[in-house]
Amino acid sequence: MNENYVTFTDVVREYRTGSVPVRAANGITFNLQKGKLNIIVGPSGAGKTTVLNILGGMDSATSGKVTVDGRDISRLSKREICTYRRDDVGFVFQFYNLIPNLTALENVELASQIRKDAFDPRTVLEDVGLGHRLGNFPAQLSGGEQQRVAIARAIAKNPKLLLCDEPTGALDYETGKSILQLLQDVCRIKGVTVVVITHNSAVMPIADRVIKIKSGKVKAILHNDNPTPVSDIEW
Amino acid sequence: MLVIINAFKSISRSKGRNILIGIIVLAIAASSCIALAIRNAADDAEAVGLESVSITGTISVDRQKLIEENGGGGRGDMSQMRELMERYKDLELDELLIYSDSAYVKDFNYSSSTALNATGELKAYGSEDNADNDSDNVFVSPEGGMVARGGGPGGGGGGMRGGRAIMVGRALTIGDFTVTGYSSEEAMTKFMNSTASIKEGEMFDIASDDMTCLISDVLAYTNGLSVGDSIVLANPNYDSDDEDIDENGDDEDIANEDNAEDNAYGENAGEYTFTIVGIYTDTSSGEVNDMPMFSTAQDPANLICVSYPSLSAVIENSIENEITGTDDWGTETTTALTDTLSSSFIFADKGDYDSFTEELTAKGLSEYYVLTSSNLNNYESSVIPLRNLSAFATTMLFIILAIGAVILVVINVFNIRERKYEVGVLTAIGIKKGKVAMQFVTELLCVTLSAIIIGTVVGAVISVPVSNNLLATQIERAEDEALNQAQSFGRPGGGPISFDGGGGGGRVMSFSSFGGGENERISYLETVNASVNLMILAQLILIGIGLTLVSSLAAVIFVMRYEPLKILANRA
Ligand SMILES: Nc1ncnc2c1ncn2[C@@H]1O[C@H](COP(=O)(O)OP(=O)(O)OP(=O)(O)O)[C@@H](O)[C@H]1O
Ligand SMILES: [Mg+2]
Repeated sequence: MNENYVTFTDVVREYRTGSVPVRAANGITFNLQKGKLNIIVGPSGAGKTTVLNILGGMDSATSGKVTVDGRDISRLSKREICTYRRDDVGFVFQFYNLIPNLTALENVELASQIRKDAFDPRTVLEDVGLGHRLGNFPAQLSGGEQQRVAIARAIAKNPKLLLCDEPTGALDYETGKSILQLLQDVCRIKGVTVVVITHNSAVMPIADRVIKIKSGKVKAILHNDNPTPVSDIEW
Repeated sequence: MLVIINAFKSISRSKGRNILIGIIVLAIAASSCIALAIRNAADDAEAVGLESVSITGTISVDRQKLIEENGGGGRGDMSQMRELMERYKDLELDELLIYSDSAYVKDFNYSSSTALNATGELKAYGSEDNADNDSDNVFVSPEGGMVARGGGPGGGGGGMRGGRAIMVGRALTIGDFTVTGYSSEEAMTKFMNSTASIKEGEMFDIASDDMTCLISDVLAYTNGLSVGDSIVLANPNYDSDDEDIDENGDDEDIANEDNAEDNAYGENAGEYTFTIVGIYTDTSSGEVNDMPMFSTAQDPANLICVSYPSLSAVIENSIENEITGTDDWGTETTTALTDTLSSSFIFADKGDYDSFTEELTAKGLSEYYVLTSSNLNNYESSVIPLRNLSAFATTMLFIILAIGAVILVVINVFNIRERKYEVGVLTAIGIKKGKVAMQFVTELLCVTLSAIIIGTVVGAVISVPVSNNLLATQIERAEDEALNQAQSFGRPGGGPISFDGGGGGGRVMSFSSFGGGENERISYLETVNASVNLMILAQLILIGIGLTLVSSLAAVIFVMRYEPLKILANRA
C-alpha cells in the first residue's frame, strides 16, 4: 500500500488545439511511496507540469488510470475533484498565484478556512521565515517571498499530497535551498507525500525517488535509499 | 460566515471598483427615488383633489328609457306614454332619504322651492314694468319645464326636477318670489361655488324653522329693506285681499271665484312672515336677464333663501288650510302650495358613485330611474393631468430601472472578468465555485444596498421640493375653494377651520382636518413627505435586491464558466 500510494498507469493527455494533436503525456506509468520526497525532472516541454496537474486534480487524463491512496481520481466527477483538491492536495503553482488584495496571512488563512485540520497559518508562515511579513500584500513581497507564501498556503492545508511546480525556479541559491529544506522537513516531520518539479538535476540527491520524463514518456525512475540532506548539496 | 468575512475583506480592499459600482447604483437609486416620489406625489395630489372635488348625482326618471319602452321615436302611443310617465314620477324625499342611507353616499342634500307673492308695500324686483299683472297670474304649464327651470341657486348642482304639481297636469300658480328651502349649506350651490355671497348680516340657521331668510341685495335696495326687517309673503293660490285685485284677471283667473270666501279664514290665511337675517350679492344675476321670463319669481334677484324646515312649515301650513274646488274644465284645484324638490347625492369618488348605482338596483329601484351626475366629467378631467404625471413617472422609473439593470450587468461582467484570476486561484485550492459566486454576490449586495440607501436619501432630498410643489399647488387650490365658500356665507376668511361650526359636511370636512393656520398646513405637507419616503425606501430596497440578483446572476454564470487550470495557464 505504501509502495503504491500514488500510481500512474499508462496515462495519456492529448491536446487538440492545433491541426496536429499534441500528446503532453504519452503513456506515463510510475508509482510513489507514501511520506516520501519525489522529484520529477526533464527538459522543457517534456510534460512535467501536465503530470503534476493531473495528479493535483487540476486536469484530467485523456486515458489511463491515476490512483491516490487507493482511490481512482481519474473517474471522479467535477464536484468530487474539487473536494479532492480541497482536502487532499496542496498545490504550489509555478507562478505563485496569490490573491493580490489579501495579505500574506490572509492568503494562508484561505487554506485554514476550507480545511478543518489545517495547520495554524501564523506558525506555517513563521516556518517559511515570513513571521515578520504577515500583514504584507503580495505586491509588497519579493518573488521568493511570494513563493514561500504560496508554499505556506499549500502546507497549511495539511494535505496528503504536496505538489510543487518549480518552487525554486525564481529563487536565488540561498532562498532556493531554504525552500527545499522546508519541503524535506514537511516530508520527514509531517509525513506528507511531496512531489517537486525541477530543472535542476543537482538537487536530485535529496529525493527518495526521481522520475525522469522526456517527450511525454517516463525515461527512468531512480530510487535513492539514502537521500542527502538539503544542507549538504550544492549547485 | 466565511463567505461574508471574505466579502467584507474584499470590499474594503478594492475600494475603487466598489465606489464605481456604488456611484452608478446611487445614481440609479436617486433617479428612481425621484421618479417614485413624483409618482406618489401625483397620486397624493390626486387624492387631495379627490377630497375637494366631490361627485354630485341625482336620481331621476329615465325618460329616454320610457320613450324606448313605448316603441321609440314619435310613433309611440301617447296615452300609454302618459300613463308610464304618471306611474314613474320622480321620487319623494322620504324615498330618497332611504336610498341616501348608504355607505357610498358621503352626503345627501336637497332644496325645495315654491313661489310666494308679495304683500303690502313689498315689490318683487322687475315687477314695476308690467305693474300688477304678475301677481295673480296663473300660468298653465302642462309640460312643466319652464317653471322648473327657474330654480335659482338650488338648480346648479342638483339637477332640478319638474315639480310634483306639474306631473298631475295641474295649473301652476306663479308668484312674485321663489322661496327656496335648503337642507344644508352644500345644497346652496351658488354660495358653494362663490357666485353668490353674503355681504350683510349672517347666514340663517339651516336646521331651524325660525322663518329667517336671506334676500338679494337687489331686492333689499328696491324695497329699502335691511337686516332685521320682516317681510310678509302670501300664498299666491289665495285670492289676495290687497289692492292688486286685477283689472284684467277675471276671465283668466278661475281660482278667484272659488277663493272669494278665503277671507273667512282670516286676514292672515296664507300669509307668512320672514325675518331678514342676511343680504347676499349674486354675481350671476345679470346672466339670466336675456332669458324670457314668465314671472318675476324666475329672476335670481327675487330668490329668497330659507332653511328647509322653514319652507316645509310654510307648505304644511298651506296644506292644513287647503280649500279644494273644481274649475271650469273639471280639473281639481287646491290652495295648497306645491314645491319643487331638487336633491343631490354627494360621493367621495367615482368608485362610490359606481357602487351606489349598483346598490340602487340591488335595493330595488326601478329600471326606469337613473342616477346621473352633471359634474362627473369635470371631475374626471380634473384628475387627468395628475394621472398623466403619475403614468409618466412610472414609465421613467421603468426606463431607469431597465437601463440601470443593463449597466449593472455589464459592470458585473467586467468586474468578474477582472477577478477571473481570483476565481482561478480560489477554485484551484478547492473552494467550490458556488461559494466563490456567493462571495461575489454578497459583496455586490452590500455595495448595492448601501448605495441604494444613500441614493434614496439624496433622491428624497432632491424630490422633496418637487413633490411639495405638486402637493402645495393642489392643496392651495382646494383651500382657496374652501376659503371662498366660507366667505360666501359671510364668515371671517380666516381659513377653512372657521367652517366647522357651520355644520359643513362633504368637501369642507376634509380640509378642517389640517386647520386654518399656516403652521398646521406645513405640518400636513411634512407628514405627506415622511410617509412617501418610507414607502419609497421599501420599494427601492426591493428593486435594489432585484437588480442585484439579476446582475449577480451574470456574475455566477461567468464564474461557473471558468476552469481553474485555464485561468492560471492564461495568466502564465
Ligand atoms: N493547454 C495546452 N494546449 C496545447 N498544448 C499544451 C497545453 N499545455 C501543454 N501543452 C503542450 O504539452 C507539452 C508539455 O507541456 P508541459 O507544460 O507539461 O511542459 P513542462 O515539462 O512543464 O515544461 P516546462 O519545464 O517548460 O514547464 C508542451 O509541448 C506544451 O506545448
Ligand atoms: Mg512546467
